[in-house]
Amino acid sequence: MSKVNRRKFITATLGSAFAAAAIYGYYQYTQPTDIKRYSSPSITQKESKSQPTDNSDSLPTPSTQSPAHPPKDAAYLAVAHGENPTEIVETALTALGGIERFVKPGDDVIIKPNICVSYRSFEYAATTNPEVVGALTSLSLNAGAKRVRVMDNSFGGSPEKAYTNSGIEEAVNAAGGEMELMSRIKYRAVDIPQGKDINRWSIYGDILDADVLINVPIAKHHSLARLTLGMKNLLGIVQKPNRFHSNLAQRTADLNSRVHSTLTVVDAVRILKDHGPTGGNLNDVEIANTVIASHDIVAADSYAATLFGLTGNDIPTIRSGAQMGLGNMDLSSITVEKIDV
Amino acid sequence: MSNKRDSSEKELGRRKKLHQLRQIVQIFTLILFLYLLVGTRKEIITVLPHDLFFRLDPLLGITSILANRVFIVSMMLGVFTIGLTIIAGRAWCGWLCPLGTILDWTPTFRIKSSQMRIQSHWIMAKYILLFIIVFTAIFGSLFLIIFDPITILSRTVTSVIIPGFSFLITLVEISLYRIESFQPSIEQFDYLIRSRLLTEQPFFLPNLIIAFFFGLVLTLNIIRTRFWCRYLCPLGALLGIISKTAHLKHRLNQETCISCNQCETICPTAAIDAKNNFFANTSECISCLDCVEICPTKSITFQHRNKINLKSNYNSNRRQLVQSIGVAFFGGVILFVMPIFQVKNYFFIRPPGTDEQALSNKCIRCGECARVCPTGVIQPSYSPKYLEVLWTPILMTRLGYCDYSCTLCGEVCPTGAITKLSLERKQKTIIGIAHINEKRCIPWAQGKECVVCEEMCPIPEKAIKLEKDIVMHSSSEISDVLLPRVIPELCIGCGICEYKCPVEGESAIRIYRAETLKHRAIIGTYRKEHRHLTK
Repeated sequence: MSKVNRRKFITATLGSAFAAAAIYGYYQYTQPTDIKRYSSPSITQKESKSQPTDNSDSLPTPSTQSPAHPPKDAAYLAVAHGENPTEIVETALTALGGIERFVKPGDDVIIKPNICVSYRSFEYAATTNPEVVGALTSLSLNAGAKRVRVMDNSFGGSPEKAYTNSGIEEAVNAAGGEMELMSRIKYRAVDIPQGKDINRWSIYGDILDADVLINVPIAKHHSLARLTLGMKNLLGIVQKPNRFHSNLAQRTADLNSRVHSTLTVVDAVRILKDHGPTGGNLNDVEIANTVIASHDIVAADSYAATLFGLTGNDIPTIRSGAQMGLGNMDLSSITVEKIDV
Repeated sequence: MSNKRDSSEKELGRRKKLHQLRQIVQIFTLILFLYLLVGTRKEIITVLPHDLFFRLDPLLGITSILANRVFIVSMMLGVFTIGLTIIAGRAWCGWLCPLGTILDWTPTFRIKSSQMRIQSHWIMAKYILLFIIVFTAIFGSLFLIIFDPITILSRTVTSVIIPGFSFLITLVEISLYRIESFQPSIEQFDYLIRSRLLTEQPFFLPNLIIAFFFGLVLTLNIIRTRFWCRYLCPLGALLGIISKTAHLKHRLNQETCISCNQCETICPTAAIDAKNNFFANTSECISCLDCVEICPTKSITFQHRNKINLKSNYNSNRRQLVQSIGVAFFGGVILFVMPIFQVKNYFFIRPPGTDEQALSNKCIRCGECARVCPTGVIQPSYSPKYLEVLWTPILMTRLGYCDYSCTLCGEVCPTGAITKLSLERKQKTIIGIAHINEKRCIPWAQGKECVVCEEMCPIPEKAIKLEKDIVMHSSSEISDVLLPRVIPELCIGCGICEYKCPVEGESAIRIYRAETLKHRAIIGTYRKEHRHLTK
């Protein structure tokens, strides 16, 4: 046993204390100090409105204008109906002008399905249909994507288990994509310049940096939002999503103004009509055999609402999104191409 | 002359090999122990039984069988250790025990005996501790098993070292992740270690008592090498009694012994006594073979008594042993008279598939359930009011929640204190019951929308229902919002609502212990009041 004398002991103690202090100090320095003030639904503040900050993380303003119209032969919104989920996804995307319209060769693609809990298989319609995700993965890879990653932050149960139990892991691996576990270290506090209620939040860095974000929600019931669709699906990419609920519609729209979904494909193969978003009762599930695809997330959500006998105007989130100019919720003003396979 | 030096160096080399062999075995065992413990995360290791070391520990086996009055088959592996002790003395302590290995590496200042003299009869303390443990076990309580060396180490690793380590690693990672050139390597590193090694659970402050306890064991090592093993270890005491009959034990050839005192100096447990002509006390000897190595005249051997007919000192201490049984008996009786055994109104929320009786009888406080829990909701209990169940698993539902699709805690429990439940049964097992504090709940108190608890509820029919209603909230305004209400007959108390509640500090919905009868009463009254909701 090597002898420890007093000097060695004091040196070691001071050294480790200094190292710890340095790491902690640096950690504090890098942490956004104002995130808490803006994100917490405080009891005294009615509206947690913030001043713009001059943080280095703030990025150039993303486009929040109404999405550009598609090229001439392509549909604004494609709705495909049929028995085979893979086929209807392919058909819908062909109607939109092909996946090449969204995915360019060499792009880094992230697909964001809804894999909210680990305790339901896809039959319960709580998680996105694995075949839809698999089809999108292989389409993106065929279009020349550098890599395709699929991720979600499950709120119930561990994400590993949720990936497996939903069947999505198997489908994605078979198609050649990667499942990524969302790591705590990759969240980044960023400004939301267009935000009306929230101006700053921690968002998953890789999604901010990705070239293409394909948003693949499942259409299902939600007691507060009424329906959870594409816009609300992005709650899975932020930290502390449960802080959104005091003003869910506006905050979801604010988030969508910062994170732009390149393509939205609403999975309505099986839809959950009650006891959402976790489900668990096959009586609440209806087989609709539909997918809805568009570059315009508001239009896609608005059409998906009609499957539940509602219109976009009934869903507060869609209304807020349309007000902010994120898209078009008026289905009569756009061309909808319906295809039966 | 040179020839002689050569041979002595060669001799030294050969002997060092013995020491090296022991170190290799010790390191291998420690790594295996840590692998089995740390690797049991979110899934169970199948190469070897994940609870191998708990099963090998005969003290855990004997006491859990005594306390439970049921034959626990899985704990019978302790017979192997007893067999090893009958053959080779306390070789477990010297070669295999992971805590012993760590103590071997802990520095010692070897305070001179003139400065601090510990009377040799203090070695009886461990026997007294052992007998108190056995007596309390016979009376049906396992709470003193917190002194078992294997559980001390496993508990410290699972509830202090890994959470602390995870916290530190995450801190460093987040800091370094800001530097762009480090990002790919940190991503790789994070991917490799996070899901299997680290834990998401926050550092639970009362666990510092566990760290303190472990630190004490290490600190005492500064006074004497292997202080814990000499004076306190109850497992060492049990093996010490058995090793009286050991076949391979320390034997001294008195004719060649030159009384050089080297073996007494090197002996880590002070088993060799100069006053006793350098004979070893077998129940103290941990068969480390360091004395065999150091003896310049090769007078010490560890051989079977039939092979070599040498004197062996059988210093039996029988009187002291009987005395210590007496002391232990009185100690046990006093403990049971003390009020800690009379407190019965527990407030702890327990993992599914267990109850106070099972935990008191069977739980060995090893911390395996806390380690395997994917959400980190299981923590060691800490209330000083309930010492009897100190460090048994409780659910801290603000730190995590019971995963609706997980049955791991019951699967890893080495003694069956947490019953192995099928997933279907677990999903119907009542852990506790949720209760909304309407003075804190956002819709009730502030009139703002929030349905997080209802959204999270994993029960297919939702144990929290929402009603659109008018509330007059804190700012004396009237709002029309969705108000959550718990339906007691559906709630199983998994705690995801408490964990996810966005209210800062104490949650606005909390899980309480559900005594079956009280629970039924609540359901009864609820049915009358809310018949329209439960239809």
